Amino acid sequence: MAEIVIGVGGLGASNSKGTTIKTYALGSCVAVVLLDPQTRTVGMVHVALPDSSIRPDKVASLPGYFADTGIPALLQEMRRCGTRGPQGLIVKLAGGAQIMDQNNTFNIGKRNALAAKKILWGFGLAPVAEDLGANFSRTVTLSTDTGVMTLSTPGRPAWHL
Amino acid sequence: MAQHNRRNEILAAIGRAPMLSVGAARIIDLAARADHELDDIIDLVKNDAPLTAKLLRIVNSPAYGLLEPATSVERAVSYLGENTVVSIVLEETLGPLLNRPLDGYQSAGGDLWRHDLRVAIAAKEIALLNPRRCQPDTAFTAGLLHDIGKSVLSGFLRDEYHRIIDELMTRAIPDYTAGEREHLGIDHAEVGFTLAENWQLPEIIRMVIRHHHEPALAPEETRALVYTVHLGDILAMMGGYGTGTDNLFYRLDQSYVDWLNFGPGQIGPVMLTVEEKFTETLQVMQLR
Ligand SMILES: [Fe+2]
Ligand SMILES: [Fe+2]
Repeated sequence: MAEIVIGVGGLGASNSKGTTIKTYALGSCVAVVLLDPQTRTVGMVHVALPDSSIRPDKVASLPGYFADTGIPALLQEMRRCGTRGPQGLIVKLAGGAQIMDQNNTFNIGKRNALAAKKILWGFGLAPVAEDLGANFSRTVTLSTDTGVMTLSTPGRPAWHL
Repeated sequence: MAQHNRRNEILAAIGRAPMLSVGAARIIDLAARADHELDDIIDLVKNDAPLTAKLLRIVNSPAYGLLEPATSVERAVSYLGENTVVSIVLEETLGPLLNRPLDGYQSAGGDLWRHDLRVAIAAKEIALLNPRRCQPDTAFTAGLLHDIGKSVLSGFLRDEYHRIIDELMTRAIPDYTAGEREHLGIDHAEVGFTLAENWQLPEIIRMVIRHHHEPALAPEETRALVYTVHLGDILAMMGGYGTGTDNLFYRLDQSYVDWLNFGPGQIGPVMLTVEEKFTETLQVMQLR
């Protein structure tokens, strides 16, 4: 069984049978997952920050690091696997955890999720499922065979999305 | 909660923890001094033959691509920089403590060390934005040592972490350290502080270890540094480099604004810089 591991700011897509796409310890990062039921292609990008304007020089080497450049780059990767266009894709989001902070000063997680939704909206897409926020980091495994996302965090049983 | 209070047992375990090597104690003492310079580090390395050999091996590895091999301590230390030298020394002497899996936190071998490195790098970046309040290299060394207490407390948390997580999910307790105190009678900050006392670490480092989750309680003259490591710790956890079951179950102390220049707009750029420096540092550490 092939496993594609996505690092921080990384992205990948696949439609080969028996493949899993995995990303570790999301923290305030957000995993944007796209599923294409037509071609049975699944893809994931591990977004760390909302907006590339803080470091445009980073985009060429690591477009997935930012929501505004990561989502278009993932769509392109999906097209390489045969996906037609944004229409008809299923979207799921996970991650965006935060430290305990009522004022949300450090809530990059929430800003990542909002930025991702805004960019997706621009492509006519909206998440059908999401597991966002709270104070725990998530590891996400995505199966090409079923499209099921498995989430885990230290010390608790895994769950699905 | 008397039956859950294992404080005395834990204090005894701290007493059995390994001692710090003389070389490590010296380099931490030096790094904690506000006025120290690279020359002081060079002098210290010169008196330690195995360390000299190791540093020369690292700078002369092909990854550094030096045109001519470095043969002097001066050149090796200036290439590597103080932070890398301190990291190498600490990992050497504290490796058995820092690199073992922490069952009580459900984290793998090496996770605590990577967390510590990440916090050290983040704390230094924040200190660089506040150079008059906080010595950046001291912030780095303090960051490396801040969670040392977890290495001892972990063994006692094995049967307790489930309950602590349940209480956090239902908001019955304010943060993870409160869970440690409730179930074990002591938290990882106090365990680390006691260990640091036994090792006779400098006062400023002891205060960072003791108060990194409640910086407002630190003595005033150390508070800027304690807040720096407090924030560095939070950035590390946000970046996905925590230590397991404690996750991001810690509180941000909003009063950092009274002590540090670090605005919301600086969080993103600093997180990205930390990511880049962390990757570089891990590569150098692998050359050992
Ligand atoms: Fe801690
Ligand atoms: Fe920590």
